[in-house]
Amino acid sequence: MACYRQFDWVIVTCWILLFTAGLIAIYSATLGPVSQFLPAYIQNNFLNQVVWIGISIGALISIQFTSPRTFQQISYVLYVICIILAIATVIWGTEAGGAKRWLVVGGLRFQISEMLKLATILAVANYLTSRRDISAEHIGSALVAVILMVIPSIIIILQNDTGTALVLLAIIPVMLFWSGLPYGISLFLISPAIIAYFTVINWKLGILATIILTIAIFFIQKRPWLTSAALIAGILVVIGMQFALNQVLKPHQQARIEAFVNPAMDPQGAGWNVLQAKTAIGSGGIWGKGFLEGTQTQLRFLPEQWTDFIFPVIAEEFGFIGAGFLVLVFAILFLRLLNIAGEHRHPFAQLVIVGVTMTFFTHLVINLGSAMGLFPVIGLPLPFVSYGGSAFLSYSIMLAICLNMDFYKREFSIYS
Amino acid sequence: MLRNKQEKRNEISIRVLQVTVVTIMLIITGRLIQLQIIEYETYGPLSLANSIRQESVNPARGLIFDRAGRMLVDNQPIYTITVTPANFDPNTIPLLSEYLDLDISVIEVRIQAARRYSWHRPSRLFTDISFQRYSQIQENIWKLPGIGYHVESKRHYPTDINGSHIFGYLSEVTQQEYHRSGRYNMGDKAGRSGIEFIYEEDLRGDLGARYLRVNALGQALGPFEGYQMGHSPIKGADIYTHIDYELQLLAEDLMKGKTGGVVALDPNSGAVLALVSSPGFDVDRLSGRVDMDYWLTLNSDTTNPLFNRAISTMQPPGSTIKPLMGLMGLDFGIIDPETSITCRGGFTLGRFYRCTREHGPQNLVEAIQNSCNTYFFSLMNQTMNRVGLNTWHRHASSFGLGQLTQIDLPHERRGILPDSAYYYTHFGDSRNWGIGDLISVGVGQGTFSSSTVQMAMLSAQLANGGYRIRPHIVDRVVYPDGSAKTFQYDKERIPWINQQHINVVQEGMRKAVSEGSGRFYADISGVEVAGKTGTAQNPHGIDHGWFISYAPYDNPEIAIAVLVENAGFGSISAAPIAGLMMEQYFHGRILRNWVYEYVKTFTPRDSSGNNNEEAE
Repeated sequence: MACYRQFDWVIVTCWILLFTAGLIAIYSATLGPVSQFLPAYIQNNFLNQVVWIGISIGALISIQFTSPRTFQQISYVLYVICIILAIATVIWGTEAGGAKRWLVVGGLRFQISEMLKLATILAVANYLTSRRDISAEHIGSALVAVILMVIPSIIIILQNDTGTALVLLAIIPVMLFWSGLPYGISLFLISPAIIAYFTVINWKLGILATIILTIAIFFIQKRPWLTSAALIAGILVVIGMQFALNQVLKPHQQARIEAFVNPAMDPQGAGWNVLQAKTAIGSGGIWGKGFLEGTQTQLRFLPEQWTDFIFPVIAEEFGFIGAGFLVLVFAILFLRLLNIAGEHRHPFAQLVIVGVTMTFFTHLVINLGSAMGLFPVIGLPLPFVSYGGSAFLSYSIMLAICLNMDFYKREFSIYS
Repeated sequence: MLRNKQEKRNEISIRVLQVTVVTIMLIITGRLIQLQIIEYETYGPLSLANSIRQESVNPARGLIFDRAGRMLVDNQPIYTITVTPANFDPNTIPLLSEYLDLDISVIEVRIQAARRYSWHRPSRLFTDISFQRYSQIQENIWKLPGIGYHVESKRHYPTDINGSHIFGYLSEVTQQEYHRSGRYNMGDKAGRSGIEFIYEEDLRGDLGARYLRVNALGQALGPFEGYQMGHSPIKGADIYTHIDYELQLLAEDLMKGKTGGVVALDPNSGAVLALVSSPGFDVDRLSGRVDMDYWLTLNSDTTNPLFNRAISTMQPPGSTIKPLMGLMGLDFGIIDPETSITCRGGFTLGRFYRCTREHGPQNLVEAIQNSCNTYFFSLMNQTMNRVGLNTWHRHASSFGLGQLTQIDLPHERRGILPDSAYYYTHFGDSRNWGIGDLISVGVGQGTFSSSTVQMAMLSAQLANGGYRIRPHIVDRVVYPDGSAKTFQYDKERIPWINQQHINVVQEGMRKAVSEGSGRFYADISGVEVAGKTGTAQNPHGIDHGWFISYAPYDNPEIAIAVLVENAGFGSISAAPIAGLMMEQYFHGRILRNWVYEYVKTFTPRDSSGNNNEEAE
């Protein structure tokens, strides 16, 4: 801690800007004129968030005094503990909004899935660091890493928290890619997500995406087995998605997807949330309606406007200037994090930073995409901005670990 | 070497990830530009429309007054709560049940009905709830998403007059009416009978509009003042009728328990002073929340209380037609005032037409006074032979018989004043018709039928010296801006009337009351009443009693026709009612309490086959 100049103040500034924007939006969404329609416990959200931010600042600072090696050492233990707690949540958890996400211990509520993300990233990073031979020829190590990430995903799906599970699944290809998985196979790994997205819009688009991706994979890595696997997998995804959309998904999920594909169809039903969010964002215009002046926000047209739909609050009251600024701060944060990952020499640190960055990034894309009608509505908070104390603490700890690894990059040698 | 390769790979990976992040961030920014800048024109107004709701404001329905300016019909606030099913939370049903003090199942049924009507539009959940319950809902409205409330008004009848067949009832507009006219909202009420129906356009007023700020739960937050929008409703026009309150009250009282109609007219203007159809219905019970049980009772009642016996009934006028028969006979030159016809108890033409008794020689005044059938059988026979049925029909029509009186009430019926076309239509194919069918028409029987208001009009026109009038209830409609529309119908001289002839007939009518069958109950003190009783033969049961009258004899101010169905002789059933009304009208009170008691306790007596001279 000798030289504070080596500390990454850009990231810290981004962090402060984000939670400040979050506080302003939470204030508007819960203590503005809208408060008259809200139950008292929601009106406490702003103060709760302030308290949790205080706790998180303390956590962020204390973590800087920890040796980066500690995180590598505790990774497996943390992973196992979190898995056990997650299973406990499935069995004994408290339900909130249809999802069992909360573990109540002695009056405190913990959202274990947020910590599970961090634990998984640390464990997978540790595992992949110990195996440096991931390539098309040694696929076995990659499979172990995939299993390490799929287990928590399944538990979280059992908690009915689709959003968090999607985030975990999204990290898989990124971390494998970083560990040296060939480009073609990496593309092959993320292709199902891309194909699935287009299939939701239209199955013909899904087929088209399959063909284009197969051709791309063929040109990157001219291996016939990979190319044919990509084609077959793509078609299976299209068929599977069609089946899932009609048979497997619960009615409220089907309605959300229907509302995404055709929001005008049922503007008062499932399309309501998306339409109101888009209306809030669109009616903000360039300059916004002003703090506490957003009619969509203050007249309670936005659902969950302090968590999942907090972005429309900012976009409505502060316009494109405000929303664009927020997006810019996130972009700076992500690019900066990826930069420090690139500059780091230790693979564990690199993997952790990349994993954390992509976690935040996936959150952002899904949250903003849901609010702006680019995705079906998937309930995920916007990191550092949305209300949610334990989630904010988890994200801050993730960021603090990244800062720690960057700060100690000279001491954290690959040779030791 | 391995190290370099590793670093190169890292370098590329970082670039790939950064390019991916930048690309997706640019897509997000592009979407933001699309929504906030390019499509701002779409979403700006949309958010405004979201939070602003137009609500139409019902105008106050016009008031109804009597001739002295006494208010007969006004409006009373009723409290209504509404539900918008899309915003409604079924978990709040127990709370609603507590506030409304109604069973949960009752509320659930109403919510289901509202859901079927519209998911997103508010429907009336309960109307006409007490003010206490209403204010309880109002205070706790924030706990009840999707529930709304407002004050509506219902018709209120502050006086003792029921006036069911004058005012009429209101009911909710149908889907078609709602779509056809821009003046209603779903659930608004419109007049269905009486002057509420005829003057609907005037009474209704014009809808206003106001703009409210609402939240996503549809709860109104107060007026919206952003635009100079909205306008006040225009109150409905007030209606001033000719109804004489005391007279109407008495007529309703006297007709209670009887079946029939009463119409009192001003013979000079045609103004309706009183109009009763009995049995009536309770307008109050149809004014607020629809009392379904009561409505079904009314519709299944065999006495048909909704049927207006003052204007829609069709009964043979009986002997009340005799003055007009005589007047026409004089005009046709068939008789003169001195022409005497000897009554030997009947008239023979193909068969024997019976008179009530053997009157001996009768001139016209005596024949009217004694209601001698023989005289009028003979007169009818000669009229048919010398001028024909259709000339007779034309003359009688000029008094309004067989025609609509055009009174300002709905569902009026014209009755039957037969002419040759009528007989050809009804008998033409089945059998020949001839003089045998017409003789009894001369004493107001046979195919002849008319309504109470037609007979009141006939009486008034004989009283006023042969001027055609148009009966009307409403004097003037006064609009909120102070302007008024007055209904005045000039009386028109019936062209063929000869003053000397009508004086003879009037004398006959006066004598019918002073010395004839009207003398028991209709000859009141202080005022000279003229009139004519009648008994309409009823093949289905007890005969119907008629009485037409006017007073004072020399300068008539009022003409009254009374029909009491299934009551026997007109002289004992209908005449006392008119007599009491005359007393009320001229003296302001009933002079003969025993007649009042008699009418109130009246029991019908069968008149058929009874040769009581005084009765006919």
